[in-house]
Amino acid sequence: MKDMTLGQYYPTDSFTHRMDPRAKLVLVIAFIVMVFLAESFLSYFAVIVCVVSAALVSRIPLSKMLKSIKAIIMLLIFTGILNLLFYNGETVLWSWWRIKISVEGIIFSIKMVLRLVLLVMGTTLLTYTTTPTSLTDGMESLLTPLKYIKVPVHDIAVIMSIALRFIPILSEEVDKIMMAQKARGASFDTGGLLSRAKALLPILIPLFVSAFRRADELALALDARCYNATPNRTRYKVMKFGLRDLAGAIGMAAFIVLVVALNNNFWGAYETVQSVWWLF
Amino acid sequence: MNEEVMKARAADEVVIKADGVKYSYRSGERVSRGVEGIDLEIRRGEFVVFLGRNGSGKSTLAKLLNGFLVPDEGIVTALGLDTADEDRIYDVRSKVGMVFQNPDNQMVASVIESDVAFGPENLGVPREEIEERVTEALETVGMSEYRNGSPNKLSGGQKQRVAIASILAMRPEVIILDESTAMLDPKGRREIMETIMKLNREKGMTVILITHYMDEAIEADRIFVMDSGRVTAFGTPAEVFAATEAIAAAGLELPVAGKVSLELKKMGFDVPFAITDEDLAEGVCRS
Repeated sequence: MKDMTLGQYYPTDSFTHRMDPRAKLVLVIAFIVMVFLAESFLSYFAVIVCVVSAALVSRIPLSKMLKSIKAIIMLLIFTGILNLLFYNGETVLWSWWRIKISVEGIIFSIKMVLRLVLLVMGTTLLTYTTTPTSLTDGMESLLTPLKYIKVPVHDIAVIMSIALRFIPILSEEVDKIMMAQKARGASFDTGGLLSRAKALLPILIPLFVSAFRRADELALALDARCYNATPNRTRYKVMKFGLRDLAGAIGMAAFIVLVVALNNNFWGAYETVQSVWWLF
Repeated sequence: MNEEVMKARAADEVVIKADGVKYSYRSGERVSRGVEGIDLEIRRGEFVVFLGRNGSGKSTLAKLLNGFLVPDEGIVTALGLDTADEDRIYDVRSKVGMVFQNPDNQMVASVIESDVAFGPENLGVPREEIEERVTEALETVGMSEYRNGSPNKLSGGQKQRVAIASILAMRPEVIILDESTAMLDPKGRREIMETIMKLNREKGMTVILITHYMDEAIEADRIFVMDSGRVTAFGTPAEVFAATEAIAAAGLELPVAGKVSLELKKMGFDVPFAITDEDLAEGVCRS
């Protein structure tokens, strides 16, 4: 429990790990756009190549990547089946009442599932390669322009950083309280849903009381560290947009162009391709 | 003016002064007493200990000394600045640093060096200097090797040392430790006491320690015993520990050596009053 961190940072040293968190955030957004741009199977294939090469560059093992899919497996099955049964396709293979399975439906549901899988794999690469702390720093830096419309960007960043810092502390505390209540005969894993939910109350109340007490002391500690002493706050950690980030951006841009080109069959440049891949 | 005179002057310089300070807590109709009528002066380079049991007003006094609380009556001046002056409050707080009881509740970042850098960042210290300060502060408390680690994996004593480093990075002139040893195990307490002594003896830092452990007061320059919001005894450790009545009234307990030496004397042995084990051994040998 002590080692728990938010997200799932995979500690290793790689090209992606060393990238500027801001660059990674922007690239992930670009990646999401790219996934939604993909239409044909060929362009999906390009996205797959993109994800696999990013994973290789990040030195994230395949098993880790697949683990992120496990979390959404129910969603995948659900979307897949719904699309399969209710897609309004032309070439009907089998139908009963309102349900009909068509060739178009099969193709569409495969694409939907593929899209979700790729989205999750690509975005979790960000959390695998970036510590929550540098992610917070990156977001703060990207949101800086909002300062001019009076959004307290730095305060938000401090709040996020404190939240990250206290998640393991509070989860440890939950363990302690649970043990204390168990020692008094409370049980948390028997009975129906309602009685289980009720059993959580004696955990939540002490947890909240303690959290508020901590908050009080933390507020004093922030004051002792002269928080908000000057608007001209300096930063210890500076992020640098380097060659590595430029290379990443160029790579991503190349993939996006490729995806768009594949969607349009290279604008008719390869008629033969069209004739082979007419199915898709 | 030659250097020695300047040093002598500096040593005599009063860094914190309380003059007729009264403070009480109010919540709605209820008024509970914090401190009443405190006068004291703390000089540069001193190691001062405030001793008292829970509710004796010692923590209230600590919070009054760096402007967390503003006295109802009387004046507190820290490094020549009135703590009631809201415009200069951050000057006071950066010069009179405060370390709290629970080390977990005073860290804001998940990486140790970022946490230590937080104070100087808030003060607008230039980046290169922050780096220097972080390195120096972590070295002083002996936590350099953990620089890039997470505070969650440290022991209580180590966390509290990081908390001290975080205050040191602001380059304070006085450091107040408000029951900073209370939540630690004996090993952690020893680590903190060693750090405090190093700061005071080697770096010449003025240290104010608030505690209810009498054995932590043995090496102090001066001790203030507090009870019911008042200072009931003060002076050097030998003077204060010999004032057995005031100590008993304040609900405190003498270190073992002190108790033994007093008992021996009561039984008719000619043993001088001793506070440390070494003194006791020596006294017993001589008599």
